[in-house]
Formats: sequence, C-alpha cells, structure tokens
Amino acid sequence: MIKKIFRVEDMHCSNCALKLESLEEILEGVKEINASYHKLEMVVEYDENKLTEVEIVRAVKKKGYTAALA
Amino acid sequence: MQKNKQKQNELFNPVVLVTLGIALVAIAIIMVTTQTDSNNALTASGLTNQIIVAFVTGITTGGLSCLAVQGGLLASSLAHQVEQDYAVQSTNRKKIKEKTKFNSTLPITLFLFAKLIAYTLLGALLGWLGSYFTFSPTSRAILMIAIAIFMIGNALRMFNVHPIFRYFSIEPPKFITRYIRKTAKGTDTATPLFLGALTVFIPCGVTQAMMATALGTGSITMGAALMFAFTLGTSPVFFIIAYLTTELGVRLEKFFMRFVAVVILILGFVTLEGGLNLIGSPYSLQNLTRNWSSPSTNSSPEIVSAQQPTLEDEITLYVQNQGYFPETLKAPAGKNLKLNLVTDGVFSCALAFLIPDLDYYQMLPPVGTVQVDVPAQEAGTELYFTCSMGMYTGQIVFE
Repeated sequence: MIKKIFRVEDMHCSNCALKLESLEEILEGVKEINASYHKLEMVVEYDENKLTEVEIVRAVKKKGYTAALA
Repeated sequence: MQKNKQKQNELFNPVVLVTLGIALVAIAIIMVTTQTDSNNALTASGLTNQIIVAFVTGITTGGLSCLAVQGGLLASSLAHQVEQDYAVQSTNRKKIKEKTKFNSTLPITLFLFAKLIAYTLLGALLGWLGSYFTFSPTSRAILMIAIAIFMIGNALRMFNVHPIFRYFSIEPPKFITRYIRKTAKGTDTATPLFLGALTVFIPCGVTQAMMATALGTGSITMGAALMFAFTLGTSPVFFIIAYLTTELGVRLEKFFMRFVAVVILILGFVTLEGGLNLIGSPYSLQNLTRNWSSPSTNSSPEIVSAQQPTLEDEITLYVQNQGYFPETLKAPAGKNLKLNLVTDGVFSCALAFLIPDLDYYQMLPPVGTVQVDVPAQEAGTELYFTCSMGMYTGQIVFE
C-alpha cells in the first residue's frame, strides 16, 4: 500500500470533496481516499500493483476535476 | 420508451420549475400581506403569521442558504446513482460517446422528504426544550451576528476571494459520509432518505435562526409546525437548484453558485444589520444613516398631526405596523423620563420593543400605552431602540 497526495485545484465546494471520495468504491485497489476542499487536495491510499497514478488522475477527470501529484 | 422519457423531461422542464417556485413565493407573500391587514385576534393571527413567515423565509432565503451547507449530502446521495452508471461503463470498457443520463428527481424528492420529517421532529424537540429556557435579546443578537459572519464568509468563499474563506464551508465528518456510503450501498431509496434525515446535524445559518425561533416558542406543536413550514418552504428552491445543477452540468452550476453567493452576501449583511440593531450598536447601517435623512422623513405625517402635547418629563413614541415614529426622539438630558409607547391596531414585530442599553424588553399590547422609565442621561447620549428582529429601529437623542 502506498499513500499519495494529489492537488485538485478546481474543487469549489465541500460537495467536490465528497464526489472525489466516492471514487473509493469505484477504483479497484484503493483502500482509502480523504479529500479536503479546505486544502484543495486528496490523499489516496492504494495498492500500487492494482492501480496507477495515471488511472487515478483519469478517474478524477471523469468526475469533472483535474488532479496532479503534489 | 424514448418518448416517455422525453415526456418526463418536459414535465420537469427547468422553466416550469422556476415559474412554479416564483408562483409559490408570490402566493406566500400575498398570504402574509392579507394576514397582516386582517384584524383577527392577535393570538390566532400571530401564530399563523409566524408559520407563514417561516414558510416565506424558507422559500426565499432558507433554500439557498441550506443548499450551500447541505448540498454535499445531497450530492453524495445523487453520486450513488452516478457511480452506478460510471461502474457499468468501466466494467464494459466501452467508449460511450453520449453521457449516460440519470433521473435525479426521485433521489432529490426522497432527500427532501426525509429532511422535512427530520426537521419537524427537531422542531418538536426544540419547542419542548424551549419550555425550559429562552434566548435573551443579547444572545439572539450574538447568534445573528455569528450567522451573518458565517453567511458573508460563505459568499466570499463562493466568489473565491481568498483561500481562507474555504474554511467557512462545513464538511460533514468523514466517518458519517463513509458509513452512509457503505451501509446504503445497493439500495436506491435508502441513501437519499438517510442523508436527508442527516441534514439536521448540519443546519445552515438561516435554519439555525429558525431553530432559535422554534426554541423560543416553548411549545412542541408550535416548534414542529414552525420547522415544518420553514423546511417545506426551503424544498422548492432546494429542489430546483439541485435539479438544475445536476441536470444542466458544471457550467450552469457555476452560474447558480454565483447567484447563490450574491443572495447569501446580501442576506448576510441584512442579518448583520439586524444583529447590530439588537445590541443597540450605533454602527448599524440604519443608525448610521438616520441622521443623514431630513427630519421630515423620520416621522409619519398622521402621527405628527395627531401627537398630543405631553408633560415636560414625558416623551411619546408611536408604534405602528411599519415601525416607530418619530424615528428620532429628542429628550432633555439630566432628568428621569417616562417614555410612552402608544399602539393602536399594531400586529407586526414592532410590538416586540427593545432598548438594548437599558436592558429593556417588552411585548406591547396591540392597542394601548405602555410607560417605560428612562433614567437620566448625559447630554449628547443616543439611546437606540429596536424591534426584537432588529428590523425597525429608532433613537432617543438627549440634549
């Protein structure tokens, strides 16, 4: 398991953080996602053998946001 | 099948929904106006008025304010359905050119229904608690100022003025959202119902003010009725905006958020003004601007002509449905005075009379005269008075 922080600059309310956290149930290999609108970032704990950074960024994109490694 | 879907979309046409919302506001305003004009007994009309005002507050301001705070919970209840579509797309690994559409009407309705029930129960609980203690005007003023700061902060956050304002956004505790997502997974009705009920834990500023009012009723039935009317009032606005933002995409969501921000900013300043008036602050807009207007606009012409000469140590203030006349009373300094508060067929909140600096609060009768003892004041002192909502104000100037 690895923990990485992604900056999501285009979050504009707490709803966005909730939307991003709901990726927990969609992305295989994710253990936990903690998104914060206050900090404009999301901390993703995931299995690097099952998931890549690119896939996370792509999933975030599908939710309507742009993520970049912090 | 497609025709049916199209028909359903037409039924929930945004233009129809907005028109319906505006019509509801108009009906509520007409109801309030006719209620104020009628000469029913105070008790009956007072209670009905309170419920109608609660409904109007909900439909005009509460919906927008609630959406800013509780939107997250609604979004997560809608997210479940979106996620299902997303999961299907991911599993099939097919590139779907057209975006899969889902009907957000049912989850929003269930969410609002659960919210309505939860807040009605909360109102009953607050009414019951209110029979044990009440809010003083000062604590109500502090609450109003805190709410105003919260609202203004939230509006500035929406305008993206500075990162610090992001902290005005309340994020529901992680354990709650996580627990809800996991337990309600797989059931399409449970999630919005559960989340709707959960909104009682994150009331918005206007809701908190209404909760304080429900507390002040000191009655289970009245508390429940007040919160029911208010929450019912918030529902159309909540529904329309939530529906539009989920159906019409991010671009319009941003437009609506700007609109909501402007409304919340205005309401924030109105609430702040009320709070400042309640503590008798000379820095409220009304008190700052009163002296700029000409003295003739301060008093109602009928009142001036009807004013009876009073004794040297007595001053008279006429309480009307539209406020206090004259707004500026002149009084001699250095001697104890009697302030006569005269009412004649008054049913507005002007009856709840307050002089913050004297710690004086009195619910005036609709018809009659109440005398207030005003201790001697130094020359140049300005004593502010207001109604208990901080809407109608005035001052006594000692010279």
